[in-house]
Amino acid sequence: MNQKRRFPRVGIPLLALVWLAVTTVPFIFMVASSFKSQEETFATSVWAPPSHLYFGNYAAVLEGPFFTYFRNSLFVVAVSVLLIVVISAMAAYVFARMRFTLNKTLFGLVVAGMIVPLHATLVPIYLLTRNLGLYDTPFALFGPYVALSLPVSIFILTEFMRQIPRELEEAAQLDGCSPFAIFWRIFFPLSGPGLATVAIFNGIGLWNEFIFAYMLTSSSDHRTLPLAIWDFQGQYASNIPSMLAVLVLTSLPLIVAYAFGQERVIKGMMAGSLKG
Amino acid sequence: MASISLSNVQKSYANGHAVIRDANLEVGMNEFCVFLGPSGCGKSTLLRMIAGLESITDGALRIDGDLMNDIEPAKRKVAMVFQNYALYPHMSVYENMAFGLRQAKIDNATIDTKVRRTAAALQLDGLLERRPAALSGGQRQRVAIGRAIVREPGVFLFDEPLSNLDAALRVQTRIEIARLHREFRRASAIYVTHDQIEAMALADKIVLLHAGANMEKHGSIAQIGAPLDLYHRPRSRFVAGFIGSPQMNFLPASVKSIGEKGVEVELESGERVLAHVDGGKVRVGARVTLGVRPEHLGLPASQPGEQTIRCAVRLVERMGEHSYVHLDGGVSAGNPMIAKLPGDGGVARDDRIALTVAPHACHVFDEQDFALPRLH
Repeated sequence: MNQKRRFPRVGIPLLALVWLAVTTVPFIFMVASSFKSQEETFATSVWAPPSHLYFGNYAAVLEGPFFTYFRNSLFVVAVSVLLIVVISAMAAYVFARMRFTLNKTLFGLVVAGMIVPLHATLVPIYLLTRNLGLYDTPFALFGPYVALSLPVSIFILTEFMRQIPRELEEAAQLDGCSPFAIFWRIFFPLSGPGLATVAIFNGIGLWNEFIFAYMLTSSSDHRTLPLAIWDFQGQYASNIPSMLAVLVLTSLPLIVAYAFGQERVIKGMMAGSLKG
Repeated sequence: MASISLSNVQKSYANGHAVIRDANLEVGMNEFCVFLGPSGCGKSTLLRMIAGLESITDGALRIDGDLMNDIEPAKRKVAMVFQNYALYPHMSVYENMAFGLRQAKIDNATIDTKVRRTAAALQLDGLLERRPAALSGGQRQRVAIGRAIVREPGVFLFDEPLSNLDAALRVQTRIEIARLHREFRRASAIYVTHDQIEAMALADKIVLLHAGANMEKHGSIAQIGAPLDLYHRPRSRFVAGFIGSPQMNFLPASVKSIGEKGVEVELESGERVLAHVDGGKVRVGARVTLGVRPEHLGLPASQPGEQTIRCAVRLVERMGEHSYVHLDGGVSAGNPMIAKLPGDGGVARDDRIALTVAPHACHVFDEQDFALPRLH
């Protein structure tokens, strides 16, 4: 009995520490090395901390087209996430609350969308984008980003909205709300933690998305940050500290966003599993 | 002000399962009507049908004479207080109360006046900016009531509004609801509860509902009447058993004689008891059930002519002011009974006692469990 109880007490924190090391050490390596000069990188051990803080890599990166890529990423991700949140919330409300014959079937089909392999859609999406005249425009990425994010977002929000007491919907009905008003004035605001989860989850995924951005954009005016890393990698093939500076700058907005939204993400993830 | 009328209202689900059968009911203007019944009897469903939250399978619902079967909830002149309050958690108390008025496109100045006036009446003025999560259970309940009042509906619908409150607060809120109904004499109220004390305390009219097989056989409504009507003149054994706590004692008996003074029945123990009921519907020898409420059994005062039932005491529960005495009624027959006797009655376990029962306090139920009419 004691043996069985000892493992969770000792083993779980130990595993957590191992996992913390796995995720933190590369990050520390990335930040530390980005402040080394190229000469120092070659002269010292890979794991050695920088002898002094060298900002030359950051200056070099920021002088390039970094801000154009950053602006493109911000635009594409912000619009896509907004569309994903609004569309998935509306769909989730319908699946969670409205009674109609094909409700379960349609929900099943939407959820099944999660298992479609992304790479199988590349060629059709490329052809469709080109035929629509959207290739290498800021709008090329909205379609695939929104469409591919909807199944999991609808799934999360449907489960979330099912937890909202039915009486609130009925009280709103008695207060004279139409189905859309019930959604917009009651369900949407009450789904805040779920919406934040969906926004952050998709925001991170799309911020780092590479393959569609690579396939559907070609000019540096319309490319997003992950392709910027690709560009810098080419440009600084032997300049490892500058590449790492790009990576630090790219991941910085996500880290800041997660630091502020962490509590909401955890609440959203827990909402489905805990009652009350 | 509004009156409500239900004619032959039925509710059944797609699988054919019936929940409400043959509900006929009139609720007058300003009347406080309580739907009472065991769990599963459909009392909440009936309330929700009136609110428009459940469809009506058949029959007619009229509010102020207008057919309401297919009218949407917001246009029925009703406001509802839910069991779990159903306050919008993301809105302040003020916004919760104003929400319905905003939906009705009433101007802000009028909304403000109405909300503040209602809040003052409910002692909520200091809480208007708070969110529901920052309120106690009793305060939330008052906000829920305020949200209903502010809309000035014709009918208030209460769905077990006190069941989430603790015992002391329940009594206090019950009194508050009664006071509000008196003060806001502009609306009728329908109140659902499974607690007969709440029903007796609040109602002008009680509608007692059948559940299960009784509902299938006799329809949903067991009896409609004033609280004391149901207590003194139950129409059936179900009503007699449901109203009153502890419930009425039922003893199998047979009719021995029928006369002007009532019906004399013989218990299984051989004792004879006279009940002041009309024996017109039974014949001598018929199997019947004698019903006596625990509070109508008493210790003999040694007066000649008192009729008694002999019992053996099995258990005494002392409550202070009174004691509940569990008995084997009719010593030889062993029917379980309970008597409510004075707290210092001097009765102990294993005593053999005789308890008096006045003829006017006796009820007799026929073989179909319908009560014989009382003579007084």
